[in-house]
Amino acid sequence: MAREVDVEVRVNGRAFKRRVQSRMLLVDFLRDELGLTGTHIGCDTGHCGACTVMMDGVTVKSCLLLAGQVTGSEVLTIEGVSAGGKLHPLQQAFLDHQGLQCGYCTPGMILSSLFLLKRNSNPSEDEIRKAIDGNLCRCTGYWGIMKAVKVAATAMQKAPS
Amino acid sequence: MFDYYAPSSLGEALNLLSSAEDAKILAGGQSLITLMKLRLTAPASLIDINRILELNYIREEDGRIAIGALTRHDQLVTNPLIRGKCILLAEAAGVIADQQVRNRGSIGGSLAHADPSADLPTACTALNAELKATSKDGSRIIAVKDFFVDFFTTALLQSEVIEEIRLPVPSSRSGGAYAKLTKGHNDFALVAVATECSLDSGGVCEAVNVVLGGVASKPTHAFETEENLLHRRIGDSLIHEAALKADAGLSLTADPRVGQSLKREMIRAFAERTLRMAFLRARGAA
Repeated sequence: MAREVDVEVRVNGRAFKRRVQSRMLLVDFLRDELGLTGTHIGCDTGHCGACTVMMDGVTVKSCLLLAGQVTGSEVLTIEGVSAGGKLHPLQQAFLDHQGLQCGYCTPGMILSSLFLLKRNSNPSEDEIRKAIDGNLCRCTGYWGIMKAVKVAATAMQKAPS
Repeated sequence: MFDYYAPSSLGEALNLLSSAEDAKILAGGQSLITLMKLRLTAPASLIDINRILELNYIREEDGRIAIGALTRHDQLVTNPLIRGKCILLAEAAGVIADQQVRNRGSIGGSLAHADPSADLPTACTALNAELKATSKDGSRIIAVKDFFVDFFTTALLQSEVIEEIRLPVPSSRSGGAYAKLTKGHNDFALVAVATECSLDSGGVCEAVNVVLGGVASKPTHAFETEENLLHRRIGDSLIHEAALKADAGLSLTADPRVGQSLKREMIRAFAERTLRMAFLRARGAA
């Protein structure tokens, strides 16, 4: 029977292999099987975006994917965004410009912002607003987030990584 | 619990669909997984078609635009062929939910799900789409007007999967536009209007579809508006008069989120707005 699935996936550049129940969600796989608890569960109904990760270069909500669906894919979580012990310019900008208050939405916000900046290196305020409209901040700290994304865009243009 | 299958070819998926117990196709999953989590549905078998890469394409062939069922909403938004020839579809896809959902959700899945408030069923109705439905016994073509049957109900058989969506290539003097009213940003439509039209060389309306979403059990033509415009020279006052009839004869389904009079007003307003934009685009002026 196919009630168990073998998941073979690269997460943040590392290969993992686990056998899990068919119903396991990607977000639970990341958190409970791999211990990557930076990806958060907010609403669990696909509205809040706290569970946003990148799968093969595009953002997805990991609470709306089954773990079995990422076999053969490359997943990036918040734990893989920084490199060499140095914060990513987006993370640094969120820190510098109060882009986070309680921090719960932050991993999803950063992944969505990262996707935006991959496509559009110099987004307008409206474009930033639209890019993060699938991520809710219950602290309503959106101004700081917008500012952080704007600053990070400028920083990344100056020093492309 | 369910059995999970992830076939890598359409043939394999079709065999599973007819042999696995109580099987459901898992496309983008942006509605199905939520429904399963809410225990609104509990299929015994899930057939994940996301590894069937041959179902993801957009190409022009034989006078039509062919879109593979697994094409993601975001691809409809960004694809140059769709943007150039079917801006209505790009506009409708661009206001679905949010970026993460558009990255994963698929056109075939949205049509098969047949939510009357969803964007792509309304847009595809206005674009006179045809659906290629395939089972292990072969394929058939279903016109979009025969495809949507009722709330979340389509003409698709249990043994069939949508393989392709076909749109007739609009003439060079065609245009379209999409508008929707939502409660929250990029939510499901309380009211949506998808309009597609074409003009002849003399500025006379050759064809026009004004299709309403979120108002009935399936996408619904504003027939009186269409009749008022067809074969007539298009001008602002005619558009205004015709749009006033967009809700004529329409019995709205009860909607706890919004009152009927507002809904009717928005149907008329969006009909006018999308008609103006669609005809401007048909003239090449926008």
